[in-house]
Amino acid sequence: MSFIHNIKYSFQKYGFLIEQLVSRDFKVKYKRSVLGVFWSLLYPILMMTVMAIVFSNVFKFSTPGVNYLVYLLTGLTFFNYFSEASNLAMSSVVANFSLINKVYIPKYIFPLSKCLFVGINLLLTLIPLYIMIFVTGTGINIYHILLPYSLICLFLFTVGMGFILSTISVFLRDMFYIYGIIITIWTYLTPIMYDISVISPKLQIVLKCNPLYHYIEFARTIILYHQCPGISQFLICGGSALGFLIIGMIVFKKKQDKFIYYV
Amino acid sequence: MEKKEVMIDVEHVSMKFNLGIEKGFSLKQWFVDIGKHKKQEKKDFWALSDVDFQVRKSEVVGFIGSNGAGKSTLLKIIAGVMKPTKGSIKSYGNICPMIELGAGFDPQLTARENIYLNGAVMGYSKELIDSKFDEIVEFSELQDFLNVPVQNFSSGMVARLAFSIATIVNPEILIVDEILAVGDVAFQTKSEAKMLNMITGGTTVLFVSHSTEQIKKMCDRVVWIEHGVVQKIGGKEVCDEYLEFMKTKV
Repeated sequence: MSFIHNIKYSFQKYGFLIEQLVSRDFKVKYKRSVLGVFWSLLYPILMMTVMAIVFSNVFKFSTPGVNYLVYLLTGLTFFNYFSEASNLAMSSVVANFSLINKVYIPKYIFPLSKCLFVGINLLLTLIPLYIMIFVTGTGINIYHILLPYSLICLFLFTVGMGFILSTISVFLRDMFYIYGIIITIWTYLTPIMYDISVISPKLQIVLKCNPLYHYIEFARTIILYHQCPGISQFLICGGSALGFLIIGMIVFKKKQDKFIYYV
Repeated sequence: MEKKEVMIDVEHVSMKFNLGIEKGFSLKQWFVDIGKHKKQEKKDFWALSDVDFQVRKSEVVGFIGSNGAGKSTLLKIIAGVMKPTKGSIKSYGNICPMIELGAGFDPQLTARENIYLNGAVMGYSKELIDSKFDEIVEFSELQDFLNVPVQNFSSGMVARLAFSIATIVNPEILIVDEILAVGDVAFQTKSEAKMLNMITGGTTVLFVSHSTEQIKKMCDRVVWIEHGVVQKIGGKEVCDEYLEFMKTKV
């Protein structure tokens, strides 16, 4: 109980700071760009178009029975969130060293605020996704109300990864380069532009260890196949998200007092 | 003399830095070192050793000592930025650390936005900043620049804004690390008056300065630290001893 009480207290005390950090990032991101916040809407559409041209025309990828564009955009929306948020969260602690060194602020605020900031962006990118759902005639159904569950799982998983990555990057600055490679590999190991059934069953097992696959699959079950996700899908998504969040919190909490020596 | 309640209790605090720690671990360095069978020697550096004192309510304590003596480290530990290697610090009351002002500024944001951002970093609530906003602007004399990004400010203007934000609250414990020389002469006089005002208002103050004049003027007690060790704690006469000591080093 005291744990929950602590969390509540922290949010009361540092809620305003988190709000300010998120709004700072948001203001800075679109300052001096002509299209401003419209980029958040335009960017996923442009990405999807490019990838659709490459993968469906050149490589002849297709997803039988469902619209390839929506299939692609669902995967991109989820994966882009993870990739951007985890990258920003990773560098957030190192980037704010000057602050950490001067004022007492709980350090977890930095990765968390980055994940929230990109989270706002994620909500914006749902607009082009829904536009595509209507334009392609895929249509919506009652199960769409379950979609936030997969987004929350994605968020919690990313926060957990953000904690782990930001801790590692304090001690090992090479992580910034290494993670660039890891993210590229991760992109291909996540069925974003291809269907998992085209892969050999052995490799499928490996791919299914990837939590992102399950969050995306959860969303696709609803959006593309108009079905309610099964109990096992709920459990895998929620379990992996909470698991990574808890591991991240433990790692971060254990190491955070040592950050100051690596400034 | 009646003893006032203890506000800060510094108990046998020691702080160790390992100077051998590189920024992270570099593979290039690892390859360079691979031929040398020398283990990286540990260079322990005690920034503070066995510092022990108490600060009572509404006391103004000055800290003096040469560069690198450990004054700022001590203040950072008291402010909660660092955890001491040994010993413990207890503080009773909310602390306002004015260690380096403007640390939370974002150069791309305007002065108005930065007042809220920096205020949040200092731990203020939204209501507090809303109610004190005009006061901050007035004191900093930056009315005409509210919607200008801080990156276009001169360093003096940034310092004025930072000082105005930091001194808007009445904290129980104020930690000041050489910030009184801010802005032009007129603003310096103004800010010093404001500091004196806060101090006489019953705030407990910890004050680091290289100006023994300032220390003598403002402090009840003086702590002289050298190489992380407390040399002397006492009244204003400690300043003179410190000056004598510094003369021998010249």
